[in-house]
Amino acid sequence: MLMKRKWAFSPVSRWAKGLGVGLALIVAMPRVVWATQVHTEPEGLYAHQLAHAFFLVSMGILVYWLRERHLTHHRGWRYLQYAALSFIAWNLDTMFIHHLEGREDLFLTFSKGTLQATLQPFPGREWITWAFYLGKMDHLLCVPAIVFLFLSLRELIRTGYRFPRSENG
Amino acid sequence: MQLPFWPVLLVDLVGSALMIVFSILCVGLSLKLRNQDRENVVWTYLLMVSHALTAFAVSRGVGHIAKELLILGGRSDIWAVLRPYSGSVNTITFCVVGAVTLFFERIWGVYQQVLRDKEALQKAHAELLFLNRHLEDLVQERTQELARSEGKYRRIFEVSRDMIAVVAADGTILDINPAGCEMLGIPHGVKQRVPDPADLGSFFANRRDWDRLRERILRECYVSDAETRLVAADGREVHVLLSAASECEVTRKTEIFHFVVKDISQRKVMQQQLLQADKLASIGQLAAGIAHEINNPLGIILGYTQLLIREEPEGTERLEDLRTIERHTRTCKTIVEDLLSFSRRAHTKKERASLHETIEEVLSVVRHNLELDQIRLEKDFDRSVPTMVLDRDKMRQVFMNLIMNAKQAIGKDGLIRVVTRWDSQRGQVRVIVSDNGCGMDPKVVPRIFDPFFTTKSTGEGTGLGLSVSYGIVKNHGGDILVESRLGEGSTFTVVLPVESEDRDTEKP
Repeated sequence: MLMKRKWAFSPVSRWAKGLGVGLALIVAMPRVVWATQVHTEPEGLYAHQLAHAFFLVSMGILVYWLRERHLTHHRGWRYLQYAALSFIAWNLDTMFIHHLEGREDLFLTFSKGTLQATLQPFPGREWITWAFYLGKMDHLLCVPAIVFLFLSLRELIRTGYRFPRSENG
Repeated sequence: MQLPFWPVLLVDLVGSALMIVFSILCVGLSLKLRNQDRENVVWTYLLMVSHALTAFAVSRGVGHIAKELLILGGRSDIWAVLRPYSGSVNTITFCVVGAVTLFFERIWGVYQQVLRDKEALQKAHAELLFLNRHLEDLVQERTQELARSEGKYRRIFEVSRDMIAVVAADGTILDINPAGCEMLGIPHGVKQRVPDPADLGSFFANRRDWDRLRERILRECYVSDAETRLVAADGREVHVLLSAASECEVTRKTEIFHFVVKDISQRKVMQQQLLQADKLASIGQLAAGIAHEINNPLGIILGYTQLLIREEPEGTERLEDLRTIERHTRTCKTIVEDLLSFSRRAHTKKERASLHETIEEVLSVVRHNLELDQIRLEKDFDRSVPTMVLDRDKMRQVFMNLIMNAKQAIGKDGLIRVVTRWDSQRGQVRVIVSDNGCGMDPKVVPRIFDPFFTTKSTGEGTGLGLSVSYGIVKNHGGDILVESRLGEGSTFTVVLPVESEDRDTEKP
């Protein structure tokens, strides 16, 4: 008897009752609602650019900690630092290129989709077309970055790196 | 100006392929690195970074290659379908790479903590191993150290000539060394633990001194060089210099006092003697001045009185008066001479002489006198006493004074002992004159060498005998010591130094 009384006044019971009433009202009185936000075209680009920025910042932080812990005295970690710096440069480059790709006032593209494709800058847009052209070869930055990572790992293995114990962690 | 696009395509295709290849190689190296030390979370971190970058490289590389090939192959429509997926996956992989990379600091911190813990564990392990292997030796060594330390402090405690006592705040003696037991007249031997109700305060001559001392120790935590008097269990009074410090006994939650008590009775006696000597020297100086001034007029009075006696016919009243004047003048002269002797201004005639013969001369004079009063005379002469340089007449006067004083202290039926001892180490001869007479009140003893101080009734003594003796002995570079107990008798010890030249002529 006592148990029954306790259950009858428990908070769970009150929440369950409230939820039930709410659901009943929703089902009984349907209306048109815009439950989710519409994602239009530029959002994809912004999300991508923000991801690049995040990538860039994380690499910057890695460089900071490597230097703060004096790990860059060792060649292996130094290569890792170079890898991070290269990825930073690559991210800057790609963000720049993504920014230019959306613009239609820089150049014209001829024979698009063929090996004979060429870029024709609008008058006065030559230098930025050149920047776009060179920046488009972003692998010239990201390949060295991954190569530096490779060298870093190889060096750490080769030297049998042992961690020093720092007093401040 | 037209810029050909094919170099861009070439770099894109080759670069994408290289990215994929190197990222996979990085994963391989990271695995190898991790396998070298599986517990190293930093290597695990690098493996995670490599995996993330591989995901990024594959996603982006495959996307780019597919894009270029599909567009060049005229299937832009397929690429238009794939493009959003490829871009989204690329975006995700960037985020993953960034997120994984950000873990570096945390991973580093964890690894450092692991290293510290590991080091601490290894150290503890090594210590445990060492203790495990050497526990018995260590315990033995420590026990020996403790025993040595205990022995050292116990020796200090046991051998100290001063009292060392541990006392509870209420005065209960918890521990006391043998010197303390001796000082307080407590039987020792029962582990130096005094009987149960032993209370240090009860040994203070004045209980209020103890209360004040206790209060001071509790207030200031220590007391140094406090002078007080203790009364031993056998009634002996001891002057002491006392230092004490308090200590809080945590287990008992009470204060305990540590006492170091030095017996300064001897020092006190010496101080008294010095004071006495100083006083006598002052009196002697005064007396000498007066005696010297009086001596000459007395001589003139005596001379003129004798002239008048010579001219006066026999049987006249005037002659009797003159003789009375002469007699009293002589008495005055004797007193003046005694004063001069006391002040050591009198002329002395020192010569090489036998001390024993000098004493014998005195004894032969007083022997009959002593026998009349049934006083026995015992002598115990040390044959090794050497001949000495002394004024025989003056020394005779000294011994005569001492023996006559002893006789007067005995009255009738008693014993006088005259003992001589030769202390070759100190180069001293001691002549001890003791009696079993009435003794002296302790209050009187400090004054007995004062000129004109006497306990005898008027007319029986001038009070100059001991003062004169004191002056004579001092004039010989010696000293007179007194011990007396009321009702038990007195002992006078004449200490005379023997010069080295005297010792050369010691008797065999």
